[in-house]
Amino acid sequence: MQDTTPKDIGSLSFGLMEPEEYREMSATKIITADTYDDDGFPIDMGLMDPRLGVIDPGLECKTCGKHSGSCNGHFGHIELAAPVIHVGFTKLIRRLLRGTCRECSKLLLTEDERDEFRDQLTESRKLSRDLNDVTKAAIRQARKKDRCPFCGEIQYDIDHEKPTTYYEVQQVLTSEYSQRIAGAMQGDEEEGVERTTPDELAEQTEIELTRVNEILSGSFRPRESQRKAIEKALDIDLTEEDTNKLMPSDIRDWFENIPDEDIEVLGINPERSRPEWMILTVLPVPPVTARPSITLDNGQRSEDDLTHKLVDIIRINQRFMENREAGAPQLIIEDLWELLQYHVTTFMDNEISGTPPARHRSGRPLKTLSQRLKGKEGRFRGSLSGKRVNFSARTVISPDPTLSMNEVGVPDRVAKEMTQTMNVTERNVADARRFVSNGPEGHPGANYVRRPDGRRLKVTEKNCEQLAEKIEAGWEVNRHLIDGDIVIFNRQPSLHRMSIMAHEVVVMPYKTFRLNTVVCPPYNADFDGDEMNMHALQNEEARAEARVLMRVQEQMLSPRFGENIIGAIQDHISGMYLLTHDNPRFNETQALDLLRATRIDELPDPSGVDDEGEPFWTGYDVFSELLPDDLNLEFTGTVGDEVVVEDGQLLKGTIAEDEVGEFGGEIVDTITKVYGNTRARIFVNEVSTLAMRAIMHFGFSIGIDDETIPGEAQARIDETIADANDRVEELIEAYENNELESLPGRTIDETLEMKIMQSLSRARDNAGNIADEHFQDDNPAVVMANSGARGSMLNLTQMAGAVGQQAVRGERINRGYEDRTLSHYEPNDLSAEAHGFVENSYTSGLTPREFFFHAMGGREGLVDTAVRTSKSGYLQRRLINALHELETQYDGTVRDSSDTIIQFEFGEDGTSPVKVSSDDDNDIDVDQIASRVLDSEFDSETERDEFLGTRPEPTNLSEHADDRLTDGTEVSSDD
Amino acid sequence: MVDVSQHELVPEHTVLEEEALEEVLEEYDIDRTDLPKIKRTDAALPDDAELGDVIKIVRDSRTTDQSVVYRYVVE
Repeated sequence: MQDTTPKDIGSLSFGLMEPEEYREMSATKIITADTYDDDGFPIDMGLMDPRLGVIDPGLECKTCGKHSGSCNGHFGHIELAAPVIHVGFTKLIRRLLRGTCRECSKLLLTEDERDEFRDQLTESRKLSRDLNDVTKAAIRQARKKDRCPFCGEIQYDIDHEKPTTYYEVQQVLTSEYSQRIAGAMQGDEEEGVERTTPDELAEQTEIELTRVNEILSGSFRPRESQRKAIEKALDIDLTEEDTNKLMPSDIRDWFENIPDEDIEVLGINPERSRPEWMILTVLPVPPVTARPSITLDNGQRSEDDLTHKLVDIIRINQRFMENREAGAPQLIIEDLWELLQYHVTTFMDNEISGTPPARHRSGRPLKTLSQRLKGKEGRFRGSLSGKRVNFSARTVISPDPTLSMNEVGVPDRVAKEMTQTMNVTERNVADARRFVSNGPEGHPGANYVRRPDGRRLKVTEKNCEQLAEKIEAGWEVNRHLIDGDIVIFNRQPSLHRMSIMAHEVVVMPYKTFRLNTVVCPPYNADFDGDEMNMHALQNEEARAEARVLMRVQEQMLSPRFGENIIGAIQDHISGMYLLTHDNPRFNETQALDLLRATRIDELPDPSGVDDEGEPFWTGYDVFSELLPDDLNLEFTGTVGDEVVVEDGQLLKGTIAEDEVGEFGGEIVDTITKVYGNTRARIFVNEVSTLAMRAIMHFGFSIGIDDETIPGEAQARIDETIADANDRVEELIEAYENNELESLPGRTIDETLEMKIMQSLSRARDNAGNIADEHFQDDNPAVVMANSGARGSMLNLTQMAGAVGQQAVRGERINRGYEDRTLSHYEPNDLSAEAHGFVENSYTSGLTPREFFFHAMGGREGLVDTAVRTSKSGYLQRRLINALHELETQYDGTVRDSSDTIIQFEFGEDGTSPVKVSSDDDNDIDVDQIASRVLDSEFDSETERDEFLGTRPEPTNLSEHADDRLTDGTEVSSDD
Repeated sequence: MVDVSQHELVPEHTVLEEEALEEVLEEYDIDRTDLPKIKRTDAALPDDAELGDVIKIVRDSRTTDQSVVYRYVVE
C-alpha cells in the first residue's frame, strides 16, 4: 500500500535560512551549466543531476531510491563566487543599514530607547497589532542620530538605488574649494558683503597665514576642523556629496556584527534569522521535480524557465571566478558581480521595476519563482485556494416542472462519468455485480473496481462479465450515479449560501441539467443559456452533511431576511391567481385533473351543485387541498383584499405573489416555520404543479392586441399629451418673461426643469390611466401585473399609453450639440419634444428622434448595471477577505482564528434569522405547533406525558422516504 | 462641551472591577488582550477609565432587551 496517510502539521516556522543549512540539505553541488551529454544522459553535478530527483517514470532516484511520483525531489546548491543580495529583502536591508552603526554595527539607540521599543513590541504582539509600526518607528528614531551612541562614529545617510544597490552618502571637501574661498573673499558690493583679506581670514579662523595662503593656492587641503572654521567665517559651503557604493560583501560584514539583542528590537528572532543571511553566498537549486524538462514531438528537449535562469547564473558565476583568479581589473570584476546579481535577482523575481526582465529566446519574459506564486493564476490563488476538481460536471440548464425542487435532472452521459464508491458487503453484493456486469457503457454501470488488496482495475466492455463474477464483500465498486444519489449543484456567482445546494439525482436522457423552476430565485438562474456545475460527493460524511444541511428544502428560508426565498414564480403565480381570483367552479373531471400531479387522489365533498345537477368544486376548494389541515392565517394579500385561511380552508382572498411567491410569500413562510421544511417543500412543489395545471386549464397568452386601445381612448391620450405640451409652453413663456418664481433652494432654471418634468410625468400617468380604463380585468398583462407574476402597470402604460420622459442622470436629456440635443431643433429650445419626451407608446411606435432619446436613456441603464456588478463584486471580495475567518464557537461567541472575540453573542442575541418570526404581525405560534405534534403522536394522555420533551426531530433522508413518512407509513430500515 | 456619554443613544459604559473581570475572562477562557478594543480617547468612556482597563458596555437590544459587551482600553 502507498503511504498516503494524512499527517498533522505540528507547527510552521518562518525565518531565514543559514548558508550552512542550504549546504546540508543539498544533494549535490552544481558546478556545470550543461544539462545532458550527447547521449542524452544527465551530467553529474549538472543542473539535471540524477541526485536532484526523478521525473522520468521507471527510473530510481539516486538520493532516496524512490520512483517518480513518490520522490519529491532534492535540492542542490551553487556556491556563489561572491555574495549577492536577496531581492526579497531589499527593504529590510535598507532599514538595517540605516538603523545600525557603520563601525560597530550596533543599533543606533541608547539602551533606554531600545528597551522602550522592545516593550512596545511585546505589547503590540499581545494586541496582535502590526509589528511593522513599532519597528519602523524604531528605525526612524535611530536614523536621527548623527553619531553612534556607543562608539561615537559619524553616521552617513544610506541611499538605495532600486533594486539592489546601496550607497553611503558622505559630505566631503569639494575639489573647487580654493576657488570658492577666493570668490567669497572678494565680497559682494551689491549685497553689502565686505571684502575679506587673507589676514582677516587667518585671524577669524585661527589658521596660520601661510596655511591660509596655501589653501587659497590649492596646494593644501584644509582639514575638517579648518574647513568648518572657514565655512563659518565666510558663510559658504565647501562640501559636496560623495557616494560610496556598498558591495554585498561589505553589507554582509556589517550585518554579521549586529548583536542579537539589537535584532530583537527590530522584530527579528535572532535564533531563526540572522540579518547576514539576507546576503546570499550559497544559492539553493530547486529539485528537478519543480522544473521538469519536457520532450517535444520532434524529440528535442525543452527546459523549464527556472533551469534556463540557473544556467545563466552558473555561467556568470564561473566567469567571475575565472576572471578573479586571473587577476582581472577591478572594473571587470565589478561588472561581472553586477551581472551575477542581476541573474540571481531575476531568478527569484522577474517583475522588478527598474530592471529589464530576463527574456526567453523568443522574447517572452521568463516565469521565475515569484511569478509562480503571485497573482490570480499563482500557486496560492490559482492552485491552492482554487483547485480544479474531479467528479464535477458543467452544462446548460433547462427547466423541468415535473421534478421536485429537491431533484436535479442529470444527463445519462454525465451520470456514466461521475462515480460513487460503493463498499461491497454481503447485502449489496448482488447490486454491485449487476453494476459491474453492465460495464462502463451501460447505465447503471461501473467504471472501476478495487480488490481487497488495493489493486484498482478498470471495468471494460470486454472484462465486465468476468469481473462481475469475482466481486465479493470487501471489494470497492465505482458505480455510476443513479436516481436518489445526492450531489452538490452550484451557479456562479456564488453570492450567498443558497448558490450552492444539494439535490437528488434523477438520471435523464439528453444533454442538459434539468431543474424545477422554483429553485431559480436562489440560484438567480434563468434558461437563456445559463450553465451550472455539479459535484458528486465522494465519502459518506460529505453525503450525509449535504443531505441534512444543504438540500434545497433545508435552504427554503434565507438568512438574509428570515423569510422564504423559494416559492412560486411567474406562471405559477398567474396560475394561482386565475384559480382563486374569481373563485371559478370546476366539475369533477376538471378538479381531479388540476390535482393530478399532487398527492391528492380523492376530492373533498363538493361545494355545491350547479344548475344541471352536477356537483362542482371551487378554486378555493382545490387550493385548500394543498394546505395543512389545521393552518390558520389572516393577512392582507397582494391584490389588496383580506386573505383568510381557517383550519386549512381558504375562505377569502386571492392567492398570488404575497401569498405563495418567492421572497416572503406569507403562506409558504408560515408553513416552513410552523410545519417544517419537508411540509413546505411538498407545498411549494404542489402549488407549482397545481398552478401549471390551472394556467393550462384557463389558457394564458399575450399578443399585441392586448396592449392596443380603441381609437377613442387614443384620441383622449393625444389630448392629454397636447395639454401637457401646452402647459410646458406656458412655463417656458413665463420663464422667458422672467415671470417664473423660483422654488425655495432652487435657481430659476432648476425650477423650470422641475415643473416641466412634473407636468410631463403627470401627462404620462394620465395617459396610463386612460389606457387602464380600457383594459379588462382578464387582460393577461393586467393579470400578470396585478398578481405580481411579471411586469407592472407602468410597463403597461408605456406599451398602451405613452412611453414618457427619457432621462439621463435624473434630468431631461440635455447633451448632444451645443445648446441643443439634436440638429433637428433650434438652439435653446426648451420644449418637451426637444428634450426627450416620448409621446408615442411602444405599440404605436416611436419616431426616429424619440427612438434616439430612448436609446440614450436605455444606454444609461445598461452602463449602470455593468458598473454595479463589478463594484459589488469587488466589495463582496473585500468583505469575504475581512470576514472569512470569523466563526461562531460552541460557547456562542464569534471569534477570529486567533481567538480574539468579535461578538460576545452571535448577532448580539445569539439568534438565527431563519428561526424567528419575520415580523410582529406573524408570530410563530409555538404552543400550537407543540400541541399539534403531541396530539398526533399519542393516543392517550399517559403515553404522551411519559414521552414529553425527549423526541428528536427525524432526519429527512430522501425525497421518497419523506413522502412515505408523511403518508403515515413508517419506513422500515434494512436491519 | 457636550458630554456624549449622557446622550440617549450612547449606551452605559462602566469600568469593570478586577474580580468581575476575572470572572469574565474565566467564562470566555481568554486574556484581556483578546477582548475587543476601545480607544482611551473615546468620548463615551467614563472619566476614571485608564489604559489597560476593561469597560463593560450594556446596550439595549431589540431582540434580547440588553446585550453586554466588554472592551479593553488601548491608547
